[in-house]
Amino acid sequence: MTAQEMAAQARSRPGLLTSAARVFDLSLGQMLWSRRSVFLALVVGGPIVLAVALRLAEASGLNFAPNRSGPTGAMIYGMMIWLLYVRFLVPVLGVFYGTSLIADEVDDKTITYLFTRPIPRSAVIIGKYFAYLVCTVLLLLPSVVIVFFLVVPLGRGATVAQMFPTLLTDLGMLALGLGAYGAVFAFVGARLKRPLVVGLIFALGWEPAVLIAPGYLKRATVAYYLQTLVRHEMPQNSPGAALLQIFNEVPPLSTSLIGLAVIVGLGLWLAGRTVENREYVLEQ
Amino acid sequence: MTAESVVHAEHLSKWYGQVIGLNDVTLSVPPGITGLLGPNGAGKSTFMKILTGQLKPSQGTITVLGEPIWGNPALYARIGFCPEQDAFYERMTGLEWVTALVRLNGFDDAEAGRLAGRALELVELTGAADKKIGAYSKGMRQRVKMAQALVHDPELIVLDEPLSGMDPIVRRKTIRMIRDWGRQGKSILVSSHILYEIESMTANILLINQGRILAEGDVHQIRDLIDEHPHTVYIKAEQTRSLAREFLAYDDVLSLKFEEGAVVVETGRPDLFYARLTALAASGELGVIHEVTSPDDNLQAVFEYLVKA
Repeated sequence: MTAQEMAAQARSRPGLLTSAARVFDLSLGQMLWSRRSVFLALVVGGPIVLAVALRLAEASGLNFAPNRSGPTGAMIYGMMIWLLYVRFLVPVLGVFYGTSLIADEVDDKTITYLFTRPIPRSAVIIGKYFAYLVCTVLLLLPSVVIVFFLVVPLGRGATVAQMFPTLLTDLGMLALGLGAYGAVFAFVGARLKRPLVVGLIFALGWEPAVLIAPGYLKRATVAYYLQTLVRHEMPQNSPGAALLQIFNEVPPLSTSLIGLAVIVGLGLWLAGRTVENREYVLEQ
Repeated sequence: MTAESVVHAEHLSKWYGQVIGLNDVTLSVPPGITGLLGPNGAGKSTFMKILTGQLKPSQGTITVLGEPIWGNPALYARIGFCPEQDAFYERMTGLEWVTALVRLNGFDDAEAGRLAGRALELVELTGAADKKIGAYSKGMRQRVKMAQALVHDPELIVLDEPLSGMDPIVRRKTIRMIRDWGRQGKSILVSSHILYEIESMTANILLINQGRILAEGDVHQIRDLIDEHPHTVYIKAEQTRSLAREFLAYDDVLSLKFEEGAVVVETGRPDLFYARLTALAASGELGVIHEVTSPDDNLQAVFEYLVKA
């Protein structure tokens, strides 16, 4: 192969996936070491602090499930997965990172460098979406693992070994949740001027509100499909059980998985279409 | 459109809501170096963003290297763009950044690294290639931006205010470099609000103001008009007082004042003043000169005069 042929080969325009992979490489480090990641790492550390407090409480004499009527460690862990991770941290991570995938580049005025390269614009959002996914998985899942090992041994409930398969399911479920929320908010971020506000209203206002309301509106939420994948034995006759009643209406597993796949696919497609067609006017 | 033109616009307009960015512009940019001269807000950046495919024309058409640019990313392989804004991935080194960007042009890792190294060498940043961009001076940041624009050996290079904030020596080197690229057969469109900068690179000038092209070609009259107006130069330097003492001996210096870490000079002979300043910076006798800029009020005054006339 001649030098000219090699040069021509090297200069061939990269396809969508290759371009997305290269945007991913460019974006991951920026995302991991951003101020946003530091802030959200602190937020994600909240459940760990709570778990440590519970362990300290036990060490100082508090007896968990002394007569099988109180919550065991496994039950507390399950409640934390529901209330802290599924209901709060996953949507919040999705909102803060997802809405910023394009908005940050526009605000920082670095989008110019990506949009003047011979790649499809949609590759930018796809590459950044996967960087988001890796970044949030690296932030969130270690927190779940630490909480699991701190909380599950409390009281006389199921052992760590018995609960371990549940941990793996939880990790997969949370990763899937991050994927679905990320895709939705990537679209919101690409489409709207103030995506963070809209994202927060969607995740912390709209979703909880329609989930407890009867009717079909709940199908327009990510949480509706995600909650099927949460598998925990919950305490009976406890305040936690009452709280969790609101999540009782769940679709079948297959519907949930298809629903989440559709959300990811549709969210990314819409985000890609938006980025391809929209002008981003940088403030002078 | 002439067969040779690298950029051709027909009745090109762009508006942002009620604000007009470009107004019915028809022009052809020939191969070689062309200067786009106009005050801030004249429409230079809007025109450059349209011709690099970042903005869509509201009306009219534009072709770049014979093809429409909006929604045509394949064409970007033939264009290099150095934007005006001072925006970077600050935590990356210059080499990492330029390599990452040229990978997006389809080069493999090894080739991308080699090209990035060569581009940094061209802009004389090899010594700082492994430093974080966040630690670069203003002039270095301008140069690394230029490196990412030329790294893939494009046919057309678009430079938006490339000399802004550079010190006199780097400014002189950069002007020489741009002229060299032109001699090597590259087409270059370079914008500025300072005629003396543009003139030092090319005689082919497009004059733009309020979204309209006022004149094209070799504009001696404008040059004469600008010469009648005093020109202000802002110089950020280590030893401002020594510099001011030196400037007071120059006949062409009409006034000077001090600002924080800088001296602001008003001169009646800008080309002579810039030449002396560059020689002074090169000698290093009066300490380091960090940055030289010129507010665009000089040119604005000339344009106001032109529009009234």
